[in-house]
Amino acid sequence: MSQNPSDDDLIAEMLPAFIEEANEQVAAFEQLLLELEDRPDDHERLDALFRCAHTVKGSAGLFGLDRVVAFTHHVETLLDLLRDGLLALTPTLSTLLLQSNDTIRDLVATAQLPDDAASQAAREALVLRLQQACGEAAPSGTRRAAPAAAPAFGTSQRATRWRIAAAFGPEVFRNGMDPLAIFQYLEDLGRLEAGHCAFEQVPELERLDAETCHLRLSAELQASAPGGLSREEIDHAFEFVRDDCELSIEALDGPASADAEPSAALQAQAQVQAAVAELRDLIKPSAAPAPAGAAPARAKEGGSDEGGYIRVHANRLDEVINLLGELVIAGAGASQLARQTRQRGLIEANQRISRLIEGIRNSTLKLRMVPIGDTFARFRRVVRDTAAELGKDVALEIVGGDTELDKAVVERIADPLMHLVRNALDHGLEKAEDRLAAGKPAQGRLTLSACHESGMVLIRILDDGRGIQRDKVLQRAWQRGLVPEGVVPPEDEVLRLIFEPGFSTAEQVTNLSGRGVGMDVVRSNIEALRGSIQITSEVGRGSCMEIRLPLTLAIIDGFLVGVGHSRFIFPLEAVVEVISARPDQLVVDHHGRGCVDLRGRLLPVVDLRRLYGLDAMAAERPSIVVVRAGHRQLGVLVDSLLGQHQTVIKPLGRLLRSLRGIAGSSILGSGEVALIVDADALGHIAASSRHATVQPAAETRLTDPTRVPTADALSVEGTRR
Amino acid sequence: MSDVRNLPAELTIYAVRDAAEQGLGWLSQLDADAGDAPLQIAADGVEEVDAAGVQLLIALSRSLAARGRRLQLLQPSPVLQRALACLGAAALLGDAAPAASETAA
Repeated sequence: MSQNPSDDDLIAEMLPAFIEEANEQVAAFEQLLLELEDRPDDHERLDALFRCAHTVKGSAGLFGLDRVVAFTHHVETLLDLLRDGLLALTPTLSTLLLQSNDTIRDLVATAQLPDDAASQAAREALVLRLQQACGEAAPSGTRRAAPAAAPAFGTSQRATRWRIAAAFGPEVFRNGMDPLAIFQYLEDLGRLEAGHCAFEQVPELERLDAETCHLRLSAELQASAPGGLSREEIDHAFEFVRDDCELSIEALDGPASADAEPSAALQAQAQVQAAVAELRDLIKPSAAPAPAGAAPARAKEGGSDEGGYIRVHANRLDEVINLLGELVIAGAGASQLARQTRQRGLIEANQRISRLIEGIRNSTLKLRMVPIGDTFARFRRVVRDTAAELGKDVALEIVGGDTELDKAVVERIADPLMHLVRNALDHGLEKAEDRLAAGKPAQGRLTLSACHESGMVLIRILDDGRGIQRDKVLQRAWQRGLVPEGVVPPEDEVLRLIFEPGFSTAEQVTNLSGRGVGMDVVRSNIEALRGSIQITSEVGRGSCMEIRLPLTLAIIDGFLVGVGHSRFIFPLEAVVEVISARPDQLVVDHHGRGCVDLRGRLLPVVDLRRLYGLDAMAAERPSIVVVRAGHRQLGVLVDSLLGQHQTVIKPLGRLLRSLRGIAGSSILGSGEVALIVDADALGHIAASSRHATVQPAAETRLTDPTRVPTADALSVEGTRR
Repeated sequence: MSDVRNLPAELTIYAVRDAAEQGLGWLSQLDADAGDAPLQIAADGVEEVDAAGVQLLIALSRSLAARGRRLQLLQPSPVLQRALACLGAAALLGDAAPAASETAA
């Protein structure tokens, strides 16, 4: 629709936005469809489903993406029948629509590439199936009159007066079709006028084969509905003779205009208006998806745009966050200098600046927060398809989808989650007959949940399947040499073995999972996000994977402590309390582990000085910082408490990446480097009885300690895995 | 010409072959007569009609036109009237012969 070069420029500029928007619509389509499987009669969702397809088709038409338009049209036709209640959404139909949706997604992705024959053939096969599905909704002359106000743009041009001309093929009668019935059906839609039958096309009786059709009919149809009729509605009447009939349908007036004169200008104007409306929608599509826990609300919106959004490239946000990180560090430096001057005015001014920086920090980080529900929602399809493939009946429950976390974290957790979900489906959940035999309901349950827990996001993947058999795990570990033959590690460590490289208990290796390459990758991916994974399982009752992830990768509130000359930072959310350590009560072994009595409970304590081999004199009055480490609490023995600190997380250099118990580093206002403690990992070190984890490994000893910023205070001996 | 010409009750694809035979019979009878009197057919008994039936009537009227004659449907049933109108063949109803014109034969 653009001969004008500036239009072409505009379209080229808008195309990425279209593709993004189309992908959102396609994703929403899939969600709605899957939700509809549970509630096939939900009209709001059906309408939203139709709108998704319609929007994609409409905006694809705007960009001249004919393949998308042509294919989506067939989907839309089927959806229309569903919406009108002429077809019921069966599982077969649902699968067909899901496949069609996949095709639309592919078409959008390859919109600018030339078509290839294979995908074209596949598409045509799908179109055929869509048409067959449509055919099942036999109109039988009783289709209800035209809906008064359906969405009207481009695709379904509406007019009150149409000229229809049909030349029927010779086989029409013998195929059991009756043009009279078709025209009588048209009379349901409006008034037939100026009907004409071309008598001269009919041979004289002497030469007539009475069963061969020679009819060429034409008429004008004056719509009875005030909103006029769409081409599709008329076209629909000829559905069953389409292959055996030359049909021409032309509008004789503009959309719903009383003017019987065909008004090209009026039509063009309507198209321009519609195009403007579509563009306006494109410019303000939903940047932040609606809370996914509120999926029904979202469905109502059909791709919500409430409140108005600005689409910003993620790079620009990253830039702001990087600058903010520098600002936080600089601010901390200024505060420290201000305190040293002991000038009250300066200190107060600095405090105000610090508060503002904190405000900016929080708001900026929120910009990157997205609900995890969108990622969860993708698993509906995975669960549906995978369960079907495996012949299992599984219900997926999603809890806490509106829990927000950093976009980068969400993106990078999707793959590990996918693997765990597939694992649960493949290995965890049993087939229906096995479940019934075990006295469980035939339908398996898989729960994906997310919630906030002490400054982290906790994601759970819970199944009520067969659970993990510890002895099997152990045997496999022995076989694979992960554990020396005959050695039985403590209970909770046995299950952790499944995260070791090269481990797999699947007796039957399927193409879904069970190649034993997955779980260790899952763990390392999660750990790369400064997260952790824990597994609990009860034989016959199911398994639970718990993934803890930081809210953000960029900045945290930290609690700064000193050990000798070294500085460590605990994520503030992980800190429970601080108690003073009485050296006479605390005895630590040479790995730096010990216990104290905390109000009647035994609290494991880690001495960072011993653990990391820091060579400095012990403080006179050490403290114990009590932190949360997974389910447990853990004491960390430190020399001094230096207070709350806004911490910009810098990744550890390659040399220190495998350092256990440390998640990252940060630069303090003074220019010093502080190490950020990973409380969870520290907890594992404390709980670990395997000396190997803390024994120095000669080959991993750092050869050039001066390259580490805190090398004077830190030896990595005995801390590498 | 004494025998009564009636359209069958069912003028559909299932009956058009027989009806065509009948029509050809009427035409040969007409050919025996000189003149240009219209072919009058009682159409009040038509209960069912489809497009094939309508096409048959059109073909008959074409044959008559070739002979300089025309088709006159007497008292067409409402079903037939509607069908002819719907398919744009209302011309066949012509001056929708009133019952009185039967005397013209």
